[in-house]
Amino acid sequence: MFVPEGILCSKSHEYLLEGENGVFVVGLTDYAVEQLGDIVFVELPEIGSEFAKGEVFATVESVKAASEIYMPAGGKIVEINEKIVENPEILNESPYEEGWLVKIEGENIHADSGDLLEYNDYKEEIE
Amino acid sequence: MGKRTVLYDTHVKLGAKMVEFGGWDMPVQYSGIIDEHNTVRNAAGLFDVSHMGQIFVSGFDALNFLQKVVPQDISKLSAGSAVYCQLPYETGGLVDDLIIYRLEENTYLVIANASNVEKDFDWLLKNSGNFDVILKNSSEEFSMFALQGQNAGKILGKLSIPEDIQPAFFTIKPLEISNIPVYISRTGYTGEDGFEVIVKNENAVFLWNLLLESGKEFGLKPIGLGARDTLRLEAALMLYGNDLNELTTPVEAGLKWSIPVDKGEDYNGKSVILSQINSGTDKKLIGFEMIDRAIARHEYEIYFGGEKVGIVTSGGFSPTLNKNIGMGYIATKYDIKLDSVIQIMVRNKLYNARVVKRPFVKKRYKIS
Repeated sequence: MFVPEGILCSKSHEYLLEGENGVFVVGLTDYAVEQLGDIVFVELPEIGSEFAKGEVFATVESVKAASEIYMPAGGKIVEINEKIVENPEILNESPYEEGWLVKIEGENIHADSGDLLEYNDYKEEIE
Repeated sequence: MGKRTVLYDTHVKLGAKMVEFGGWDMPVQYSGIIDEHNTVRNAAGLFDVSHMGQIFVSGFDALNFLQKVVPQDISKLSAGSAVYCQLPYETGGLVDDLIIYRLEENTYLVIANASNVEKDFDWLLKNSGNFDVILKNSSEEFSMFALQGQNAGKILGKLSIPEDIQPAFFTIKPLEISNIPVYISRTGYTGEDGFEVIVKNENAVFLWNLLLESGKEFGLKPIGLGARDTLRLEAALMLYGNDLNELTTPVEAGLKWSIPVDKGEDYNGKSVILSQINSGTDKKLIGFEMIDRAIARHEYEIYFGGEKVGIVTSGGFSPTLNKNIGMGYIATKYDIKLDSVIQIMVRNKLYNARVVKRPFVKKRYKIS
């Protein structure tokens, strides 16, 4: 599994990755998609909507159950991954590259990231 | 931690993800629910269903006793045959749903749902007062596997049980696989042709491994409870606790086909069940498929014309149809029929669904 450098993970298994021009990518960790099993449905928020850290912004459903997805940091949705709405299995196949959920912007993202874990620490935490 | 079947360690070694179900730690999936589902539809799958209960009923009054506790006419069962039954309370609501096998003239085997075994056994005991009958809960002694799919017969064939001695649909035979005594019935919970194999615990691990190994060339894989649920939902088979419970009668659940109206003997719930067959019910089970993009799940609300009319009992993604499907109870006073558009409340929003025929996927039993 390819894991990008510099991702920060929440204890509820979302990741945050800083991109260019103050845009951050939000997705689910490989551990999360592995635990969910076959993902068959994704509901994403509207572009332009704003969420605080810890707020539910999306729903992902596996064959077995629906799971709410929480914002790892507060911000405004600037892009959503339409591809995973059409083909939810991409989340299982490629959680960090093709299968990201949304991109966000916001002034407090860095401040909100304080309690997020670097990938290696996250891995230790879940094991 | 739940109870463990004797195959627990075997499942873990096969890479299963274990979950608690009905008081048992069971494999929910091995390779993935969709892959396992498709394996059963296209080839064959092996399920550990040892959590299910085996209750033996014997004695001079065994037949009369069973006639008292189920609506089905057990007197029509010849030795070696089986019938799908319900176990009603006096109200017509259900203790459980069951398969009853007549093994010999006066010996019957009752297969009960895992989480209901003790409740069923207590209910049977309570009803046995006036009967010369011996009830034995042997669930702890036996393991049970389901071998399901179009290749199931070929796999048994390879194990020296050729087609001409394999049990016919809804019958059971005492047989041997590699000198191990087993009961094999042609029953299941997937809508596919297939078998259920009952074996003593001490032979279970050996038999499981033998079946898996022999089935490899026919595409056989181990299948978890996740796919068991998607398979049975596509076949619109009832799940007690979801689609059936103490407040639903078999008539409301659409199981009228299984109930003879001419059975002479009295049985628990008979007056309610017969009156519902004659005069109808206030609620009924329907099947639906989602039109809008959303997944209906257990206990979501059903709406029609802006009113709440019912509740989803089972729902989810259908791998075979690549659609979201479900079943639920609706009040019969609304004009909801086949093709009607209803709504399902998902996370506080209404999504359209269409009422469709059950089963969702055609059953492929070999009824010769």
